[in-house]
Amino acid sequence: MTDLSKIRNFSIVAHIDHGKSTLADRLLESCNAVELREMEDQLLDNMELERERGITIKARAVKLEYRADDGQDYVLNLIDTPGHVDFNYEVSRSLSACEGAILVVDASQGIEAQTLANTYLAIDEGLEVLPVINKIDLPAARPQEGKKEIEEVIGLPAMDAPQISVKNGLNIHSVLEMIVKQVPPPSGDRSAPLRALIFDSQYDSYRGVIVYLRVMDGVVEPGMEIKMMATGAVYKVVETGYLQPRGLQPAQGLGAGEVGYLTASIKNVADTRVGDTVTGAQNPAGEALPGYKAVQPMVFSGVYPADGSKYGDLRDALEKLKLNDASMSYVQENSIALGFGFRCGFLGLLHMEIILERLEREYNLDLITTAPNVVYHVTKTNGETVEVYTPLNYPDPAEIAQAEEPYVKASIITPQEYVGNIMELCQQRRGEYRDMTYLDQTRVELHYEMPLNEIIYDFFDALKSRTRGYASLDYELLDYRPSRLVKLDILLNGEVIDALSFIIFADNAYPRARKICEKLKENIPRQMFEIPVQAAIGGKVIARETIKALRKDVLAKCYGGDITRKKKLLEKQKEGKKRMRSFGTVSVPSEAFMAVLKLDD
Amino acid sequence: MIQTVSQGKSLGIYVHIPFCRSRCEYCDFYSLRGGRSKELMDRFLQALLAHIKETAQLAPGYEVDTVYFGGGTPSFFGADGLRRIFQELDRRFAVSKDAEVTLEANPDSVNERMLGKLRRAGFNRISLGVQTDDDIQLKALGRPHNYEQAVKAVQAARNAGFRNLSVDLMYGLPNQSREQWMTTLRHVLDLKPEHISCYGLKVEPGTPLYEYGHCANLPDDDMQADMYLYAVETLGEFGYTQYEISNFAKEGMESRHNLKYWTGGEYLGFGPSAASDFAGKRFTCKADLETYITGVMGGGQILSECESIALRERAGEYVMLRLRTTVGIAEEEYSKTFLLPFGPLEQLLRLYERKGLAKLDAGRWSLTPKGFLLSNQIIGQLLEAQQNSTPIAKLH
Repeated sequence: MTDLSKIRNFSIVAHIDHGKSTLADRLLESCNAVELREMEDQLLDNMELERERGITIKARAVKLEYRADDGQDYVLNLIDTPGHVDFNYEVSRSLSACEGAILVVDASQGIEAQTLANTYLAIDEGLEVLPVINKIDLPAARPQEGKKEIEEVIGLPAMDAPQISVKNGLNIHSVLEMIVKQVPPPSGDRSAPLRALIFDSQYDSYRGVIVYLRVMDGVVEPGMEIKMMATGAVYKVVETGYLQPRGLQPAQGLGAGEVGYLTASIKNVADTRVGDTVTGAQNPAGEALPGYKAVQPMVFSGVYPADGSKYGDLRDALEKLKLNDASMSYVQENSIALGFGFRCGFLGLLHMEIILERLEREYNLDLITTAPNVVYHVTKTNGETVEVYTPLNYPDPAEIAQAEEPYVKASIITPQEYVGNIMELCQQRRGEYRDMTYLDQTRVELHYEMPLNEIIYDFFDALKSRTRGYASLDYELLDYRPSRLVKLDILLNGEVIDALSFIIFADNAYPRARKICEKLKENIPRQMFEIPVQAAIGGKVIARETIKALRKDVLAKCYGGDITRKKKLLEKQKEGKKRMRSFGTVSVPSEAFMAVLKLDD
Repeated sequence: MIQTVSQGKSLGIYVHIPFCRSRCEYCDFYSLRGGRSKELMDRFLQALLAHIKETAQLAPGYEVDTVYFGGGTPSFFGADGLRRIFQELDRRFAVSKDAEVTLEANPDSVNERMLGKLRRAGFNRISLGVQTDDDIQLKALGRPHNYEQAVKAVQAARNAGFRNLSVDLMYGLPNQSREQWMTTLRHVLDLKPEHISCYGLKVEPGTPLYEYGHCANLPDDDMQADMYLYAVETLGEFGYTQYEISNFAKEGMESRHNLKYWTGGEYLGFGPSAASDFAGKRFTCKADLETYITGVMGGGQILSECESIALRERAGEYVMLRLRTTVGIAEEEYSKTFLLPFGPLEQLLRLYERKGLAKLDAGRWSLTPKGFLLSNQIIGQLLEAQQNSTPIAKLH
């Protein structure tokens, strides 16, 4: 075990593209932790998807061994954090495992709004935040202005901030020295009862769950009985060790201040919740570490295989994904239109997008998803209260005494010139203004109380386009409030397509119904017969479009040389039809289901 | 090796002449454009003659009752070469006395003298590529002639003694209006051809038109459909009966050669890209002149594909090709030939009938003009129904 005074635990906060992952790579390189040829670009982002999107989805950690200019050997634990509001809780837990954070600012672009939220999160967690100015090799670099901005906007001293270029490996040494000198060593009592913070976990088919943790007090060793304080689960530790760049390195025990992993034949990541405290089963700590929250899915969507016969494959894929992602949920669901599928719960829209993309990519599935919805609380006239996770189960209007929808407290940080735009947007989205505070001369934080449903319906995109990407959003669940809700049904050729139904605030029903009908008309190809597209509440049609009958689909010439080609054409037509869902005589391409999810306002 | 000995079977022959004066903007047939050397045309001629001689040995007992020279622009190849090819066919195959012998021709590469030569050599049908009566459109399509030349070509063919004349037209052309198409039809009817083909312009990948088609102001599908229905109606009024999706003829003047393609007849193709359906196999020559010449002369591979067509597949082709014609399909013919139940098809056909897309006449199902316009959809659905059907148990 390393002496506490020789440990530095830190994280990196940066805007997308400002060089977080590359900086991590350079630090690894400088510590000779990794040979150059072994490095895949951006080593910390292990998931293919993460590398591609340039974002970190899951937290990761790595141990660096560094001989500082003072001649002493130090252990530097870099804990990488996810970078999106959907994962705010995970970010806060990762940060609370650290004593310091490096704030990377682009010398040419200055601080970006999204960076602010995480910086404040780090400051709130009591971390020493150390700015560095990156990309000083760029012709447009203005490092002095960047430093001034950090001082003014965040109030951090920045004049001595290292000026680096992660691309060229410039001044990386000074970053390492800064970490050693300015990040406080961890405190903690190794003789106290064990308290370790789980900041991530991962399922491995050989070892079971690998728990990533930061020991705050005491020691955890192989053979020891441990207990998860929130879930109550008890296990016997099989292995402990450090997180090396090339993989796990077993070690005899982890002590307070250290970052590492443990395995304990744990079958399910659901028992190793992020933020939970690991303590000894025999000699438990009196109190868990602060900040634990049971994360609940907030957004639900129906997920169906585009090809109905792939239902089994989808179930297997979800089972496997769930092993690694406790925050996702799924239950079987039947739709008349789409057949067998699942109602899946996600933390937010990005989380949903990621899971769906992984299902399609890693498990080679073609999916149809339904419009995402929040969980509604409905009190029936008979006094019964139900939680509605899917429009399929929304009670008949006549049975509803009161319906409630979830509200969130949304905080938006923005340059002041966009305040007007944002207020207008929030008002459109039924936001209730609470307050506005100036963070500095140019930046403002706005607070609104809004229905969550309005946020999951393309709010991010709308916010981005109204603020040129400068605003950042954070939200947390507040409470449930009574609301006037209706279920909108979509009919094709007179038949309700249940998978297209959704629940909506009554006043928004008309415009939305019109838009959906238009969108379906655009996305359903003309067919041999005319198809009415209707939107209805209860039995009442409130919008209608007509897909005109197809009039011409013919091969004008078919002589000797064309016959083989014509046969291939028919084959192709047949393949194309496989991607269609048939409702009576109407064929609907899976793209049409997706298109109604993206309606531009 | 293909071994067939049979008596009295009829055979069609297609000869592909892969040369053109210039390239039309919409054309995706295999052809070399511009002034090709005499030497290359000669080498092609020699290869073609050798190919004919070699293949004819495989078809004893067949009587050739149709010959069709297509391309490319066969008329551009010149009367002497064409006559030489036909003589070789006549010498090597049993070409019947009343065989239909068609020449595809462009108005700019025919005159009375050459047509006279061909008529005397045994050609008796001309298919003239007129396309439209509007010179601006002809130019836009890259056609190497104007409408006046087309009128003169018709006159030349008549003077040369051709009594069977077909005119090719196209509709759905860039900037074409309904009225303009109506005028074209009226003008062409004045020429009194025995046969008229009307093709909707299709923008094929790989053609020049494909590259700029999006800005060529093409009539949309609805307008094309209107143009088509107008043509069917007008031509009917003038005594031209529709016998295939794009083909209309005075009584008894249908193209017997082309009918073979749609009714499961046998045919042999000569020249690059030419297709054959012969002795149960369908095969196609590679679409490359050099490969064809060196292959024929040196004994190399000249086929790009060759497949035996199973009965089940023939059943699909029967539906797909017959429904292009007004002869259509019939229950007894179908179930006896292919041992498949007609019921699943009939169910759909009844639905189409109710929607005015198909009709039942004396036990034969065929598509109406509206149905022809949707034939890709209809055929697709019928084939799907056919694929899901179980064969009728054989009686052993």
